[in-house]
Amino acid sequence: MTDFLVNISPAWPIIIAGLIAAIIPNSNLRKGLALGAPVLAAILWMSAEHGQHGIIMFGGFELTTFRFDGLSRIWGLVFIIATFLNGLFGLHEKDRVTDAAGLIYSGAALAAVFAGDLLSLFLFWELTAISSVFLIWAARNKAAYRAGLRYLAVHVLSGVLLLTGALIRASETGNWAFEHIGLDSPGGLLIFLAFGIKCAFPFMHNWLQDAYPKATVVGTVILSAFTTKMAVYALARGYAGEDSLIYIGAIMTAFPVFFAVVENDLRKVLSYSVNNQLGFMVVGIGVGTHLALNGVAAHAFADIIFKGLLFMSMGAVLHRVGTVKASELGGLFKSMPLTTIFCIIGAMTISAFPLFSAFVTKSMILAAVAQEHHWLVFGVLIFASAGVLEHSGIKIPYFAFFAHDSGKRVKEAPANMLIAMAIASVLCIFLGIYYVPLYNLLPFQDAVYEPYTFDHVVGQMQLLLGAIFAFAFLLKVGAYPSEKRSINLDTDWFYRRFGDGIVRWAWTMLGRLSASIDNVIARSKTRMGSRLHEVFSPIGSLSRDIPSGVLTIWTSALLAIVMLVAYLAP
Amino acid sequence: MSHKTNKNDDHIHPLASLFMWTEAKWLKGAMVYILGFAFLAMASVDLFHHRHEYLDYAASTGFYAYAGFGAFVLAVMVGWFVIRGLLGREEDYWDKDAGDD
Repeated sequence: MTDFLVNISPAWPIIIAGLIAAIIPNSNLRKGLALGAPVLAAILWMSAEHGQHGIIMFGGFELTTFRFDGLSRIWGLVFIIATFLNGLFGLHEKDRVTDAAGLIYSGAALAAVFAGDLLSLFLFWELTAISSVFLIWAARNKAAYRAGLRYLAVHVLSGVLLLTGALIRASETGNWAFEHIGLDSPGGLLIFLAFGIKCAFPFMHNWLQDAYPKATVVGTVILSAFTTKMAVYALARGYAGEDSLIYIGAIMTAFPVFFAVVENDLRKVLSYSVNNQLGFMVVGIGVGTHLALNGVAAHAFADIIFKGLLFMSMGAVLHRVGTVKASELGGLFKSMPLTTIFCIIGAMTISAFPLFSAFVTKSMILAAVAQEHHWLVFGVLIFASAGVLEHSGIKIPYFAFFAHDSGKRVKEAPANMLIAMAIASVLCIFLGIYYVPLYNLLPFQDAVYEPYTFDHVVGQMQLLLGAIFAFAFLLKVGAYPSEKRSINLDTDWFYRRFGDGIVRWAWTMLGRLSASIDNVIARSKTRMGSRLHEVFSPIGSLSRDIPSGVLTIWTSALLAIVMLVAYLAP
Repeated sequence: MSHKTNKNDDHIHPLASLFMWTEAKWLKGAMVYILGFAFLAMASVDLFHHRHEYLDYAASTGFYAYAGFGAFVLAVMVGWFVIRGLLGREEDYWDKDAGDD
């Protein structure tokens, strides 16, 4: 029995549960699947042994569906935890599309993490794209539909790049192995771009801020956990130590801060925050030392939980109030005090306060960067750490639950949402205090790190207090921007307005060209018709009387030509 | 969905009392001074204790405190003047009918 379990990827029960949920009309049964499947996946995860399992034949190719090693183990566990928490958070929602898509998407992401070859990775990579778009469309409005189409186009492009890169690489190396890839071949470069799209690299990032805030309350929470962290895993597996990632990651940490400061939609603020935290992980992958990669794995683990918690708290606000626009919120602690507490815990965690999980995870990446003497990148990461306190640590809880009282009085979040947020909160604090179990899961046990040193605690508290004081100071002198109903253009302008304009112009030009060609053809037809009419009509030239002598000459000439051809023919 | 009411209504959650202190007027006025004191106190720890850092500039006195303050102000100013100033648009910019949410 144990041998049998060892061979099964924990992803299968979740994917199968999703497929069953798609055809079950009874929502209670679907909810049972949403909670039961991750429990079964956890049992499989616990039964797993290091090595390559679940090898199947598919279309003539040998696929390794379950590679369990130091790197995939920790990602697998946190994906299973996230699937369970998401199932709990969505327990009140009776939407078959969200239930089924959420499970299939979570399972596909888990399967991608356990994929042992590039072909398996591609199959599950695409399955995440196709299944997750239904979480956006489940919002069932025009904006969500359009955003879903854009999201799907971007993610299918990522899949196409991955498959093309994998094909080129397979032709170069003779195998489909998903190990270190590197950037020294065209195939490697294409796969890098595929991962970069899903990881929301700069200029490829805007699908995230475009789509996530438009998904359903539960859908956004589910989306926040998997796609980008799956890409981080893929980068850690294939491109650890690539220098370019250090600078790409540094940019990713910094630029979202500026956008998040003035963003009015708090779920969009969190989407920018996803970018910012991904940046830390990408930097760590670029540094590539054992300490840095441990930091990446640990921070991805913590991030999935605390970012999920923050999205859950905003989801609860959206569920009860009907909006997450900062300009329309404020004073919600009076109605939703428990949600307020959970949101503050998430905010303190993402800000990396001591005793919260990010303090023991993000610092590993910063230490690795400093150890390698990347002084400029270290400075950018310090800026980004203060920036994340601004938008996720202060702005989210302050404008939603405090600030000016909007006078909105609503019910506290449903019990299932509160329980999910409570579990996530406990994990944030537990991992911040008792981090040994998390550190024991890290891929490189030779890299020793001690987060609670006097220097680290003092340095971090100095940074946080400096930033908090700056907030109070700016507020006092009236130099903090008020929240207003507006949007900010981002790189999506290039394809939503500029690109769209070019396509529309080209379409119009094509229409005119087509009309001109039709016109020319019509005129030619008319001209030819009149010519033929002139020749063959009853009053045409061929109908005129022709002298018999001339006709005899022409008939003789034609006969001579026919005879000549017949004589010369072989 | 929500409904607007007066401040003295019955819809305030019993547990909200945990945060009612945040509405005290004296606190709102004093908060900046309290935080300023905490900021300076924490920064001054470096005067008595030399932090060991891998990078020299990070070991300078009060580095993280000043970096935190400066980075926050920079983020807000750039966000306010550059992002909102140059890239800010009306809420219905993308779609007059559907909005952006």
